Amino acid sequence: MDTATHMLRTGQRGALSQLQLAFRDLRNSFQRIGLAWSLATHDVGSRYRGSILGPFWITLSMGLMVLGIGVVYANLFHISLQNFLPYVALGIVFFGVMTGTINEGCETFVQAAGMLSQTSLPMFTFVWRTLFRNLIYLAHHLVIVVAVLAYYGYWRTADPLVALLGIALMLLNASWVSMLAGIASARFRDIPQIVVSVMQFAIFMTPVFWPADKFDGHREVLDFNPFYHLLQAVRAPLLGQAVAPLSYVVLVTMALVGWSFTFAIFARTRRRIVHYL
Amino acid sequence: MSQPPASITCTDLTLRFPVYGVDAKSLKKALARVVAVGGQLGRHAGVTDVTALQGVNLQLKAGDRLGLIGHNGSGKTTLLRALSGAYEPDEGTIEVQGRIAALLDLSLGIDATATGYENIRLRGRIAGLSSREIDERMDELAAFTGLGPFLAMPVKTYSAGMQARLAFAAATAVEADVLLMDEWIAVGDADFQKLAHKRLLKLVERAGILVLASHEVSLLRLYCNKVMRLEGGVASEVVDIRRLDELMAA
Repeated sequence: MDTATHMLRTGQRGALSQLQLAFRDLRNSFQRIGLAWSLATHDVGSRYRGSILGPFWITLSMGLMVLGIGVVYANLFHISLQNFLPYVALGIVFFGVMTGTINEGCETFVQAAGMLSQTSLPMFTFVWRTLFRNLIYLAHHLVIVVAVLAYYGYWRTADPLVALLGIALMLLNASWVSMLAGIASARFRDIPQIVVSVMQFAIFMTPVFWPADKFDGHREVLDFNPFYHLLQAVRAPLLGQAVAPLSYVVLVTMALVGWSFTFAIFARTRRRIVHYL
Repeated sequence: MSQPPASITCTDLTLRFPVYGVDAKSLKKALARVVAVGGQLGRHAGVTDVTALQGVNLQLKAGDRLGLIGHNGSGKTTLLRALSGAYEPDEGTIEVQGRIAALLDLSLGIDATATGYENIRLRGRIAGLSSREIDERMDELAAFTGLGPFLAMPVKTYSAGMQARLAFAAATAVEADVLLMDEWIAVGDADFQKLAHKRLLKLVERAGILVLASHEVSLLRLYCNKVMRLEGGVASEVVDIRRLDELMAA
């Protein structure tokens, strides 16, 4: 039994100790990372209990959406399916992971109210739970990605390692937004609606369904859109294109600033979150 | 082993609950309030506090079985939750040495659509058991519930009594050094209650420390050797169980 057998809880002792306690929460969550995984797999299992295809249902519906949008828009934009379908497929799959992680982030703490109010589990455990759950979904959707890339022959030029780096950067960013949304939603019940609306808006403002190069006149729509960079870092290498250095600069900066901010908020609100619920 | 013996130490423990009214949970209201008080954000303007525990001092060592008495809302459950590590004190400290098992809410982590086995597994994971530990203990737990083949069925097909059996077995799967209980939780029909009593007693025997909140004086006399009274969040001294009547009269 290697569970922590010593617990010390103290009153407020200034900002520095709050920060240390927040780091301890993070550390403890890594020590019990298996629990977050167990909770995530349980979530996925119970959501699709009794259905034959299970999580592959969303894969299927996503596949249909990819096919529909791909064919229609390829005609509208006069682009060949060969070029456009993989582009849309990757866009929808990876944007979906981001949206899922962030939207479900709103529920992270609210859903865990029961556990948080009678155990000393680290708060971060539940952040990882949301992230892992969405990773499991992503693993299912990879079927679409692999199928499209194989069918259209992109596997010859794709660079999976660079794409993996992109996925890591994407998750790093999506997870802080997710956690921030979780804390805010626990306190203010309007936040989930706002988050959903923003993500909805973002999917149309980001070149997910439409080709980015059709927007040449207004680069700022792309350059100032964080979601564009997030998506490009994953999509471009898989399509055998290079990722603009600017994207990496934006992503790394965003991850650093975002996590610092979120962590500061967490350190401040950590002892209050359980009372919000 | 070289582990220090179980102990609980609370010094000047004060716990306040901020009350966020249903209305205050709307962002609009909060923004409006900020404007109304002229931007004094740091003041927690308008947030009412309820002091649930005030200046509680408590010192328990291995072998102590503390009974908590007090009216509804006197802070018994809050103290138990604070001891479980869920609530952070506003002032003072709580230090607990040893593995804690909080049997406060039996339905914790019970998923009605999952099977009995899955629920035992999940609950055990939450309580800090590894998957292997759960596997090792599964047979014993399954036998204890007496649910047999029903364990492979979803919990929603269970009767209330069967659910209680499952929840009880899952919740008591952990061998803890510090046992926190809100009411003596022996559940189920007469036969099962006997089993449950026996199991709880075994847990209590094994655990170094028991903290039990209850209104049942006879239970407290049976299981506790010390008693403390909470009154509006203020704790009395910890006294021997033989002075229970004195304490109740005070």
